[in-house]
Amino acid sequence: MDKTLTYIVAVLAIIALVVASYGFVAFQGQVADLENSTTDLEASLSNIQGTLTGIQAQIGEYQSNITDLEEELSGYKEITLVDDMGNVVVLNEPPERIVSLAPSNTEMLFAVGAGDKVVGVTDVCDYPYNFTAWVEAGNMSSIGNYWQPAVEPIIELDPDLIFASTASEEAAATLRNLGYNVLIVEPKTINGVLEAVLLIGRATGNHVEASQLVSELRARMDAVVNTVAGAASIPKVYHEVYGPDIQTAGPGTFIDELITLAGGENIFHDAVTSFPIVSSETVIEKNPDVIIFPNMYMGLIPWGTYDDIASRPGWDSITAIQNGNFYIIDASIISRSGPRLVDALEELAVMIHPELFG
Amino acid sequence: MGIDAGESHLRRVSHWKLYFLLLTVVLVLVFIFSLNIGFSQIPFDNLLTILAKNIPFLGGVVKTPGTEEFLRQESIIMQIRMPRVLGGALVGVALAGAGVAYQGIFRNPMADPYTIGAMGGASFGAAVAIVLGVGVALLGVNTVPVFAFLGALGTAFLVYVISREGTRVPVTTLILSGLTITIFFNALVTYLKLLAGNRLHALTFWIMGGFTYTDWTEVSTIFPLIIIGVAVIYLYARDLNILVLGEEQAQHLGVELERVKKILLGCGALMTAAAVSISGLIGFVGLIIPHLTRIIVGPDHRILLPTSAIVGASFMMLCDSLARVIIAPSELPVGVITAVSGGPFFIYLLRRKRRGYTAR
Repeated sequence: MDKTLTYIVAVLAIIALVVASYGFVAFQGQVADLENSTTDLEASLSNIQGTLTGIQAQIGEYQSNITDLEEELSGYKEITLVDDMGNVVVLNEPPERIVSLAPSNTEMLFAVGAGDKVVGVTDVCDYPYNFTAWVEAGNMSSIGNYWQPAVEPIIELDPDLIFASTASEEAAATLRNLGYNVLIVEPKTINGVLEAVLLIGRATGNHVEASQLVSELRARMDAVVNTVAGAASIPKVYHEVYGPDIQTAGPGTFIDELITLAGGENIFHDAVTSFPIVSSETVIEKNPDVIIFPNMYMGLIPWGTYDDIASRPGWDSITAIQNGNFYIIDASIISRSGPRLVDALEELAVMIHPELFG
Repeated sequence: MGIDAGESHLRRVSHWKLYFLLLTVVLVLVFIFSLNIGFSQIPFDNLLTILAKNIPFLGGVVKTPGTEEFLRQESIIMQIRMPRVLGGALVGVALAGAGVAYQGIFRNPMADPYTIGAMGGASFGAAVAIVLGVGVALLGVNTVPVFAFLGALGTAFLVYVISREGTRVPVTTLILSGLTITIFFNALVTYLKLLAGNRLHALTFWIMGGFTYTDWTEVSTIFPLIIIGVAVIYLYARDLNILVLGEEQAQHLGVELERVKKILLGCGALMTAAAVSISGLIGFVGLIIPHLTRIIVGPDHRILLPTSAIVGASFMMLCDSLARVIIAPSELPVGVITAVSGGPFFIYLLRRKRRGYTAR
C-alpha cells in the first residue's frame, strides 16, 4: 500500500516536475517573445520619430519655400498705372509718402482709406478734414498753391507718389523729369471720377476699399436716375457759377452732367464754352423752372442775397422766381471731382423733382 | 557838349573799369545769394560743395556726403534753382540790353523792349498755345515758349513793316504802330481768356511772368540768342552814341542810319522774344535798368550796355529770390515784384533828376 502510494506520489511529482519545467520553458519563451516585441516596438517608434523629423524638415522646407515665393511674388507685384494724360507710372511697392496737389485728389485719397499716407496737401484742401488747422498744428505739410505750385516744397516732403491735376501740369512735368512718380488725375465726367477713385485705390494698395466705394456710389447714382426716370417733365435749370456779371456752366462740366442725370435740363447745355459769361437777358429769355446758386463762403452766395437776385431787372418774370424754386448748393460738392459729386446729384434731384422725393 | 560836361565825361571814362569790376562782384554775390534762397533750407557749405562738385571736369575730385538728403539738395540746387537763376539772369540781360538799344534808337526815355509790340505778340502766342492747346501732343514738348517767341518776333516784324516808309523807318511811326499792335493783340488775348475755361489760370500766370518751372532746356536755348544779341548791340555802341544826337546829325557823322537801326531793332526784338518765351511778361526791367545804370556810369553806350546787362541780371535774380520766399510755400509771379518795386522807383527817378538820356 505504502509502496503504491509512494509510486503515485513519485509519478505525480514527475508529472508535476514535467509540467512545471514545461511551464518554465514556455514562460521563458513568452518572455523572450515579449522582449522581441518590445524591441520591435522600439524600432517602429524610432521609425516613427524618424518620419516625424522628416516631416518636420519638409514642413520647414515648405515654409522657407513659401517665404521665397512671397518674396518673389512681391517682386512681381509692381503696379502699372496710367493717368488721365496717358502718363505711365510703375510702382514696385505701395507708396508710403503721398503728396496731393489738388483738393479733389485729397478727397479721393481719404475716401479710399489712404489718408494716413498723405504727407502734403495744397492750401485749399478742405475736405474731409480742416487741413489748414492740421498744417498749423504741424500734423500735415502744405505745399502751397493749387494753381502752379512751386516744386521745392514738394521735393522737401520726399514723396514716393504725387497726385497732380491740370492746374499743376508744369510742376508735374518738372517733378517727373527729376524722377518722381507723378499721376495727373483730372476726370471730366462722373464715370471718369469713379475711374479715378479706382486708379487711386490701385495706386495706394487700397483697391478693395476703392471698388467697394465705387459700387456704393454707382448704386446711389442708379437710385437717383431710376427715380427721376418716372418724372412727368424735364424742368429747365439755371445754375449761376459766378456773379453778378453772370457766369454759368455749359457743356463738359460736372454741373451740366449732374443736372441732366438729376432729370433736369441745363438751359446753357448748348453754350459754346464750358463756363460761358451770359447776359441777364438770355436767362430771362430761357425762363428756367429751377434756379440754383452755389454757396462759397460760410453758406452765403458771395454776390448777393436771394432778394438781390430776385430783384434783378426783369427776373420777376422768370418761372423759378415766381414759384420760389430757388436753391443753394455747396460749390465744392458740385464742381470738384470727387465722391461727393454723388451727394450733389442727390441734392439736385430733390431740388429739380421735389415731387418724386417726398 | 559843354566843357564841364566834357570833363565829367572824361572822368567817368577813367572809372569804367572800376564800375565794371564792382558791378561784376555784385553780380556774383547776388548769384550765390539767389542759389541759397528758397523753400528748402540748404546749408551754405553744402551749397558750396554742390557748386564745386558740378564744375565741369574738375568737379569729380570733390568729396560729397552722398547721403540721400545731400542728393536731394543737389537736385534742388542743380535742377530747380540753377536753371531758374540763370534763366532770370539771362532775361535780365536781354530786357536791360534791349532797353538800352531802344532808348538809344528812339531817343525816348519811355522806350522799352515792349515798345515795338513784343508784349502783345508774346502774350498772344502764349495764349494760343495755352488755350487752344496747340501741339501739346507733339512729343509732349511744351509749345508755349515756342509760340511766345514766334509771337514776339512776328509782331516786331509786323510793326516794322507797317512803319516802313520807303527805305526809312521813322521812330514816331514805329512807336505808334507798336502801341497799336499791342492793344490789338491784347484784345485778342482777352477774347482767348473768355474761351480759356480751366486754362485761364495757366494763361494769367504766364502773362504775369516767372521762373518757377524754368529748366535747363529753356536756358540753353535762349543763351546763344541773348549773348549774340548783346554782343551785336555792343558792336554798334559807338553808333548808338552818335544816334542819340539826332538822326540827321548821325547821318552827317557817317552812320549808316537805316542799316544800323534795322540791325539794332532786330537784335532787340530777338532778345526780347527769347526772354519772354521763357519768363512771360516781365515789365519795368527794360525801362528802369538802363535809367538806373545811366545814373551810375553815365550815358556812353560802350559802358552803359555791359553794365546795364549786369545790373539787369542782378535785379532779375534778386526779384526771383523774393518771389520764392515772400509767400512761401507758394510763389509770387516775378512780374508782380518787378512792377511793384520798379514802378515807384521809376517815379522817384523821374522826380529826382530829369537827367538826359543822351550822351550830351
